[in-house]
Amino acid sequence: MAPRLPARCWRRLSLASSLRPTTTRISSTIPSSSARLLSHSSQKQAKTGWTTLQRQRTAETHRFNQVTSGIPAPTTGPAAALNRRLRTTPVRAGVLAIKKGMTAFMGRTGARIPCTVLQLDKVQTVANKTRSKNGYWAVQVGLGQRHADNVGAPQLGYYEAKGIAPKKELAEFKVRDESGLLPVGVQLMPDWFHVGQWVDVRANSKGKGFAGGMKRHGFSGQEASHGNSKNHRTIGSAGPSQGSGSRVLPGKKMPGRMGGQRNTVQNLPVLMVNNELGIVVVKGCVSGPKGAVVKIQDAVKKPPPPKEFIEKTRKVLDARFPHAEQYLDAARKKHLQLKEARQQGRIDEILSAGVPEAMMSAEAENLLQEA
Amino acid sequence: MNTALLVRRPLGCLKASLRQTRQQNRVFPNRHMATATATASKRGPIPSGVSIDDHNFYRIIDPKTKKTRTAFAVYTPPETTSHSSTTTTTKKRSLTLPKLISPPADPLPALHAQQIKRMDPTGARTALFAKTRTAARVGDILMVTHRRGGEPFAGVLLSIRRAGIDTAILLRNHLAKVGVEMWYKIYNKNVAGIEIVKRAKKRARRARLTYMRKPKHDMGSVSEVVLAWRKMRRVVATSKAASKAKVDAKAKKAGKAAGAKKAK
Repeated sequence: MAPRLPARCWRRLSLASSLRPTTTRISSTIPSSSARLLSHSSQKQAKTGWTTLQRQRTAETHRFNQVTSGIPAPTTGPAAALNRRLRTTPVRAGVLAIKKGMTAFMGRTGARIPCTVLQLDKVQTVANKTRSKNGYWAVQVGLGQRHADNVGAPQLGYYEAKGIAPKKELAEFKVRDESGLLPVGVQLMPDWFHVGQWVDVRANSKGKGFAGGMKRHGFSGQEASHGNSKNHRTIGSAGPSQGSGSRVLPGKKMPGRMGGQRNTVQNLPVLMVNNELGIVVVKGCVSGPKGAVVKIQDAVKKPPPPKEFIEKTRKVLDARFPHAEQYLDAARKKHLQLKEARQQGRIDEILSAGVPEAMMSAEAENLLQEA
Repeated sequence: MNTALLVRRPLGCLKASLRQTRQQNRVFPNRHMATATATASKRGPIPSGVSIDDHNFYRIIDPKTKKTRTAFAVYTPPETTSHSSTTTTTKKRSLTLPKLISPPADPLPALHAQQIKRMDPTGARTALFAKTRTAARVGDILMVTHRRGGEPFAGVLLSIRRAGIDTAILLRNHLAKVGVEMWYKIYNKNVAGIEIVKRAKKRARRARLTYMRKPKHDMGSVSEVVLAWRKMRRVVATSKAASKAKVDAKAKKAGKAAGAKKAK
């Protein structure tokens, strides 16, 4: 058995072979790449010292709760919360609508289906909420329009930056991920949904005012006779006495304000969509009076609409509003200019002189020159 | 701030920032300025122009000094885009405002019309309960035939609930000396036909004859009236079969006398 060479000597041998192209046995066995590696380490030697040991994991990879530390992902916190709600968050955004009333559909076989008519009045996407900026994915959607007199200055600035008219109502629709976000300023029409799909509809229910226990919680009330005196609709006892602490337990059902709170009706089938009338007709009833603002979104407890349909709706949006992105960009640039003018107190000049020509976006200018 | 530490370790902050960049490189490998994604995707040339002019300025005026405190560009709502676009077409450079389609204020009448056309293509059912002289009115005796056979139901028309496609009628009769009332949806496919058996002598002065439930005004069973009407109709039908042309005129006369009207 050949004596083992110390590493120091072995390195010298290889160095010599790499320098001189002699056909010694050792030089032929060592490939050129390994020679380079060794030479590299020899260079390194000057600074950090030469070692055959593998580079150790540094302290930072061992740091507590790092992604790289090998600890399982945390079950609490924003990321975990989003992940928990992943399955119950709809794939795409919903729309705002106005409840127009109830009617019925008469089937060919004599069936009568009661239904609610919901109208989409100038429904527009206003903004996107992103995970990095807001902590979740959502689309902000607006309905109708509002006169500028009835809008505050901060909101006027907000709409100015979006390049859209002030909306009557704003609402957010959470979506599962980035793919659910929509271009800003596009109008969502009833064909956003298809006949036969399921939706969840949420709205504020009709307010009933201060209601007693019988109406509010369905208590059975008390007897009409058998010695009952002036206590026919009262709730009776509020709980046990001394042995149980002589107190009313938290959450005890009692008389109080009834209705006027948000209510969701799940899994309503869509019976009809009509772009001319701007209506979505859903089966069954929806909370709230006529004229109430309702939110319609794909049902949480049913499978989402087919992928082909979702893609089709996105294509339709792109076809109807091909320049939404550029329009938003132009509006934003104009907004920044106006904002600067407002801060400097020059807004009056601009109003009298007109908006300067410099306000057009450079990108749009390029496009115009190309065309 | 801990100045002593800075004096002792002047490059401490540099080390921390370097550590951060190392971490960044691990998370986003190969991301440099050169490989950064393009900011805007080109969808095609803008049709009409560059800047956006479809807006008015909304001034907020200071109540004390009566001067413009601030002003915002308020983009014109879609109703007025047609007006503003005529003015902006003179300026070549303007990005057109995306036009929004506003739906009709009340979609229900149009929806009802559409549904009625589908369920009643001949318009016979609509005509029978229209607000005309020839149409059925409260106080008339009507007979409803069901699609799936069974005994037709006849009774006095107490009220008409008009609700477009959901329009319904209320008939009252006595079966086995018990008052029976039935609601029928006139556009339902289960209702095969509605016939006027007998017209009221006088026009009722109420829209809903709820008083007919009181014993004083209750009409009782209408079976006799219906029987007589049926017998008369059968006679007409047989005589029609016997001789066509001559009896046709008679039948018309008889029909007029009985005041019968076929709904369908």
